[in-house]
Amino acid sequence: MDGIGDQLAWTVQLPWSESADERRRLDAFRLLRQVPAVVSLTLVDAAGRERLFVSRIGLNRSEGGADHSANPAVVGVKSSPIWFGPVTFHAGSEPFMTIAVAGNRAAVGVVVAEVNLKLIWDVISAIRVGRTGEAFVLDQPGRLVAHPDISLVLRADETATRPLKALRAGILAQGGRAVTGHDVAGQTVLAAMARIPAVDWSVVVQQPVAEAFGPIYATLWRTVASLLGGAALAAALAYWLTQRMIGPIRVLEEGVTQIGAGQFDHRIDLGTGDEFERLATRFNEMAGELAVSQERSERIIRLKRFLAPQVAELVDRSSDDGVLDGRRIEVVVVFGDLRGFTAFSGCAEPEAVMGVLSDYYDALDKVVSVYGATLTHFSGDGMMVLLNAPVACPDPALRAIDMARDMQRSVRSLLLDHGLGFGVGLAMGPATVGRIGSGARLDYTAIGTVVNLASRLCASAADAEILVDAVAARAVRGRVRLVERDARMLKGFDRLVPVFAAADGDAG
Amino acid sequence: MRFESCAFGHAGPTTRRDVITLIGAAAAWPVAASAQQQAMPVIGYLGSESPEPYASRLVAFRDGLSETGYVEGRNVAIDFRWAEGRYSRLPALAMDLAARRVAVIVAPGGAEVALAARSATTTIPIVFEMGGDPLMLGLVASLSRPGGNLTGVTSLSVEVSRKRLEFMSELFPNATTFAVAVNTTSPTSALQLKNLHAAADSLGLQLRILTASSEAELNDVFRAASEMRVGGLVFTSDPYFAYRSHQLAALAIRHGVPTITQARDFPIAGGLMSYGGDFQQSHRHTGIYAGRIVRGEKPSDLPVQRVTKVELFVNLKAANGLGLAIPPSLLSSADVVIE
Repeated sequence: MDGIGDQLAWTVQLPWSESADERRRLDAFRLLRQVPAVVSLTLVDAAGRERLFVSRIGLNRSEGGADHSANPAVVGVKSSPIWFGPVTFHAGSEPFMTIAVAGNRAAVGVVVAEVNLKLIWDVISAIRVGRTGEAFVLDQPGRLVAHPDISLVLRADETATRPLKALRAGILAQGGRAVTGHDVAGQTVLAAMARIPAVDWSVVVQQPVAEAFGPIYATLWRTVASLLGGAALAAALAYWLTQRMIGPIRVLEEGVTQIGAGQFDHRIDLGTGDEFERLATRFNEMAGELAVSQERSERIIRLKRFLAPQVAELVDRSSDDGVLDGRRIEVVVVFGDLRGFTAFSGCAEPEAVMGVLSDYYDALDKVVSVYGATLTHFSGDGMMVLLNAPVACPDPALRAIDMARDMQRSVRSLLLDHGLGFGVGLAMGPATVGRIGSGARLDYTAIGTVVNLASRLCASAADAEILVDAVAARAVRGRVRLVERDARMLKGFDRLVPVFAAADGDAG
Repeated sequence: MRFESCAFGHAGPTTRRDVITLIGAAAAWPVAASAQQQAMPVIGYLGSESPEPYASRLVAFRDGLSETGYVEGRNVAIDFRWAEGRYSRLPALAMDLAARRVAVIVAPGGAEVALAARSATTTIPIVFEMGGDPLMLGLVASLSRPGGNLTGVTSLSVEVSRKRLEFMSELFPNATTFAVAVNTTSPTSALQLKNLHAAADSLGLQLRILTASSEAELNDVFRAASEMRVGGLVFTSDPYFAYRSHQLAALAIRHGVPTITQARDFPIAGGLMSYGGDFQQSHRHTGIYAGRIVRGEKPSDLPVQRVTKVELFVNLKAANGLGLAIPPSLLSSADVVIE
């Protein structure tokens, strides 16, 4: 609008002379060409007479002379340098407006231009807010002057444009702040307004709320989507992890159950490469150790059947059953049995008999254990003990005699009440030792003349007597007080056998 | 436990059905789209000439159509009917289009075409394009509210016939007599003649009226004009003349007659001057209205648009050929000067 005003000002720079002014005419033509919105121009001199009229449609007039002094445009422009007339609608359709511009002094006169406002439509329809937002212009009484849909302007339909007026009223009520309202299509829009003060028009810019708030909604949706996505991902991960964990846990559980059931050869096979695999490895190691430990304890149990606990331990620690294998070594064989037991068992109650036997064996077992001897055999009231086999011990003969003495001491106190006695025979010599028997019923024993000799010496021994053969006696000579007895004939020996009795106390 | 499993049993099929519905909709979508293609809306286009003289106008029309989202062959079909210069055939062609139940009849290129279309149907929307006043021709009840099944675009070509006379007298300030070519079969010819006589009176000029409604008569007009002692030849606004700009330019050169017509095609083809409405704009708006009607708007709601832009073309080469000097007033008014 101001642009048109500036253009018009060019035509009112020179004072009017009496004659027609060709230069002004050219200026006017040029202006029409440059400002397409201007439909016609009227130049009026200081006296209010029409000097020039040029039009795009009507015929031009020079020096028409019509009196314009009462023309509201000419009157209006006297008070302000530029005057804007009201918007009028030609044939009820095309919006037009009259603009008048006065020169800087009265002599140059006034130019009055008729402007087709439809051409500002190009400006208005070029205004785009966002993707679908648009602008429109209302004049002071509320008529639509420009709208991107030009047919709305041309239709000049009051009802159709009422929502637009309502929008402007809303903005005015809010003191000029942007408001939401409805556009002509009933769409909810966000509208803001600017005023063109010179013409008292309102330029309203509107944008559909959906689009205006689009970025906010988009952010909201993105947030919700990412939350949902995150939750779904977390759930999927949790499920995957659970599945990953449940499998190994089941394998572990099954493995532990099997190992617990005694299958120590069972191995948990897990290749997960994580803590589960390490745990499985630990379980496998544990199973292996359990297997070793069980084997060991079974062996110890086996060994303890005939070995003193410490011997058994010793054998076990060597972790070599080879010591139990058959071989020929020098051993000391000790036999002991009760005197008068047959008579006692014949008249005593079975309970008493078994009680006496139980106490008797307990006492002997203790002594055998203390000396690290090997108890090879019980039978009835008799027993057989080996020294230096399967584990070698220093000075087995002396040890055997000391053990026999201890046996006598501990047994005698038990037996006196029952009128029983206890005799011991021991012999030293080479014998074949080793395990005999089959499967679980294995015994460790010694075979050889020395065994026979010890057994015969025992049978020959009187109550409280310890009979020792010549070999053993020679081995302990000077360290144990021995009394040589008469050599005697023993069953299975074709010569007289020299016999020694161990007296109480040491030699010396 | 049993209740729970029942609930699941119910939820399962529902979800499945939903999924199937979704898949079905997705599958049906391209089918629906192709069905839409088969039922493409058809625009009936009634042309007074043949496609060649209409070529530039058709470009403008299709531009306007595409502004509303329609492209020929993609989502709209255009059924053309050409009268090939024989305007008496227009009503029959319009009837033909109406019988094909097209979505809208576009009747560009003058009052004859619009009137022919109107005579063919009162129900099918019609979009006209012309230079005259549709109100005066009785095509619409009002410019802002057309009311019936017609709406369209008008230019100021008819209204500015007198300006052509004025420009001619500007070029020949000393001449007092000018020849005027008029097509008496045109519905606007009487009005234009009245305006021209009034203008001649106020300018102090005399007019010699020459009539032409066929190509042979056009030749006669130029020969007569060259034989008369007239300043120049002024053509009234008429589509019949406008579409023959090339022929008019050739005749004007041959007979050495300074001539002004309504269409820019005339000076572009070698004629001297033209003054009239911008047909590119008017045909573009015709395309926009056709598109809006295809989209479902009612013609009675679409006000008649006036293309208010009027353009002056001056061909300096033609002026040189005629031995004329174009005065500065014309040069400063000219929108386009062809050198």
